[in-house]
Amino acid sequence: MSGTTAAQHLEWRRMHPVTPALKGWKIVVAVLVVGGYQAADDVRRLMELFEGRGWLVVLGVLAAVAVVGFAYSGLAWRMTRFAVTDEAVHLNTGILFRQQRQARLDRLQAVDVVQPLLARLVGLAELKLEVAGGSGSAVSLAFLRESDALALRAELLALAAGLQRPTAAPAPALAPEPATGAVGDGATATAAVPGLDGHVPGGGSDVVAAALGAPTTPPSTTAAGTTVVPVPAFEAAPEHQVYEVPIGRLVHATIRSGATVGLVLAVVVAIGAGILSRTFATVFFLLPMLFGLLSYVWSRINQGASFRAATSPDGIRLRHGLTESRAQTVPPGRVQAIRLSQGLWWRRPDWWRVEMNVAGYSVSGEQQRDTVLHPVATRDEARTALWLVLHDLGVDDPVAVVDAALTGTDGAQGFAVAPRRARWVDPLGWRRHGVLVTRRALVIRRGRWFRQVDVVPHERTQSLGLQQGPVQRRLGLASFVVHSTPGPVSPDVAHLDAAVAVALLDEQAERARTARASAGPEQWMRTQPGAER
Amino acid sequence: MTSDVSQPKADPTPAGTDLFDPLGVDWTPVSPRLASARLTVTAIVLGPLLIGTVALAALTGVAWLWSLPAVIVLLGVWIGLLVPRQVRALAYAERADDLLVRRGILFQQLVVVPYGRMQYVDVTAGPLARKFGIASVQLHTASPATTASIEGLPPQEAARLRDRLASRGEARLAGL
Repeated sequence: MSGTTAAQHLEWRRMHPVTPALKGWKIVVAVLVVGGYQAADDVRRLMELFEGRGWLVVLGVLAAVAVVGFAYSGLAWRMTRFAVTDEAVHLNTGILFRQQRQARLDRLQAVDVVQPLLARLVGLAELKLEVAGGSGSAVSLAFLRESDALALRAELLALAAGLQRPTAAPAPALAPEPATGAVGDGATATAAVPGLDGHVPGGGSDVVAAALGAPTTPPSTTAAGTTVVPVPAFEAAPEHQVYEVPIGRLVHATIRSGATVGLVLAVVVAIGAGILSRTFATVFFLLPMLFGLLSYVWSRINQGASFRAATSPDGIRLRHGLTESRAQTVPPGRVQAIRLSQGLWWRRPDWWRVEMNVAGYSVSGEQQRDTVLHPVATRDEARTALWLVLHDLGVDDPVAVVDAALTGTDGAQGFAVAPRRARWVDPLGWRRHGVLVTRRALVIRRGRWFRQVDVVPHERTQSLGLQQGPVQRRLGLASFVVHSTPGPVSPDVAHLDAAVAVALLDEQAERARTARASAGPEQWMRTQPGAER
Repeated sequence: MTSDVSQPKADPTPAGTDLFDPLGVDWTPVSPRLASARLTVTAIVLGPLLIGTVALAALTGVAWLWSLPAVIVLLGVWIGLLVPRQVRALAYAERADDLLVRRGILFQQLVVVPYGRMQYVDVTAGPLARKFGIASVQLHTASPATTASIEGLPPQEAARLRDRLASRGEARLAGL
């Protein structure tokens, strides 16, 4: 068979044939939004356009855009194919500019199954693999059938964990296609196309196959034309739910924020000004603010709705989202740092927002939702969230230590705090600024009113820094910084005693080294530690 | 306000002593040619500005316009005094398992980069740097916050350091 004789032995698969229909809409909507935004500048001209038969032209343009959009998506779909080997995921995309991406599974940082609203309605899902290559490095497989996506996720996680494929090679899956298998490589590729969607085989497919240098083996297809996941499938790892966020608390917590307070103040001021000046002009300044707040509240609630976290042998499982549902899997040891934060308005109910740094989850506004470990946690849940990442904090009394970290001041539970003379540079927070070194992690707390606690496992320390400005030098203080991967957490302790800070830097470098040496393997199911290091 | 609990007896470090002395490492300073290179850049930027403002003041004859070249001269003198000190403060040290880079006089900074955490190393040399026979080495970890760049290394030293870092990084390679 051509698939087995090739050196690379890649079994190429395609996305679900409905993909172009889902993606094409995006193009149409984008054009509509941009066009509408441009046109809205001049409403009168827009009205003129709609007089007489103008609307026919508009409709025609829309239809043309739709045709182009769907045609483009269709072409893009035909050019997109992926393959999974024991070591990597290969993804080939692009119509004019071809891209062949290969993501090594041992570098896998997280696997997400994302279902936008439309895809959810038709039972499709996008599978996203995050590798630590900066923004845009994710491998996105969109769209697959939901069951296929889940099976593929289980397979990828199992392979990334270092498990072996259950004996049988993917060859049996190809068996039902004896006719095409006998033909040469190029012919195989073209023969594969009609089997998938009934399209007339185009020249482009040949070019791709030739450019790939690898045969495109036809995946066995069902009557519906969907690709089938190879027979030797992995069982999905069992999971155990640890917490769930009630929607009531989420809504309450989201509204109970500084933004709402600011808006209420603004409304009061605006009404007052309106009464005094006897005009309603101020209302127009309020509208954008109101919209801004509403969209903020909506996005927070939308992203955090039905937030559930679970543990599994494959790591942390997070599920959330109202319209767009996301199921994230972060394997063990992939969380680089964790932050628990509490704003002014969350102090009374004692709620905490828990965020994490995972290499690959970038911090650009759109992806903020990926880095949330708990949108609004009670004290107990915050502790649980911390436990999810770090099963052993490395202290004798974790509850007391976490309490001291969350709300404590001064040196309780062994925190090294800023000395009293630091009040000259930080009159409010100096008693909170502190750092605690446990056997497993570095715990950093700060903020008197806006409380924050950062926890960095020793083995996840990237590099360390020490800074001292002129005033700090006069006072004999220095700030200590831990560099972590990009994300919401940026741990640092300001204004420690200079000698303490230097000692901490020196010891932390040593601790990070020993922790790395004894840390679990990158492939988390492999038993011998340090095999990958 | 209560008294300090954790460090009650620690004396403030007397002003003037080096913050990083307790680490007890031998710092390797960078080449003083870096100062020359930086001063040259300053001259290239400020020179035409000075000539321009002098010409403007002379041609228009407005008295207060002479303050512009005066400011530029002052700036030049300030930079001329500052840069050599800055360059002297820039140093690095190779320890068994990590690289230390320090910089700054007024605002002192130290970065410790474990070799095993290095993702890649950049060696760069612009035309002016090549003219002065210097190159810069920058270490990159998975964190963009790691600002470990050593400017002003002689090219052989830069190449040696790069190879050394690469080999040590490989020996201590870890994931993320």
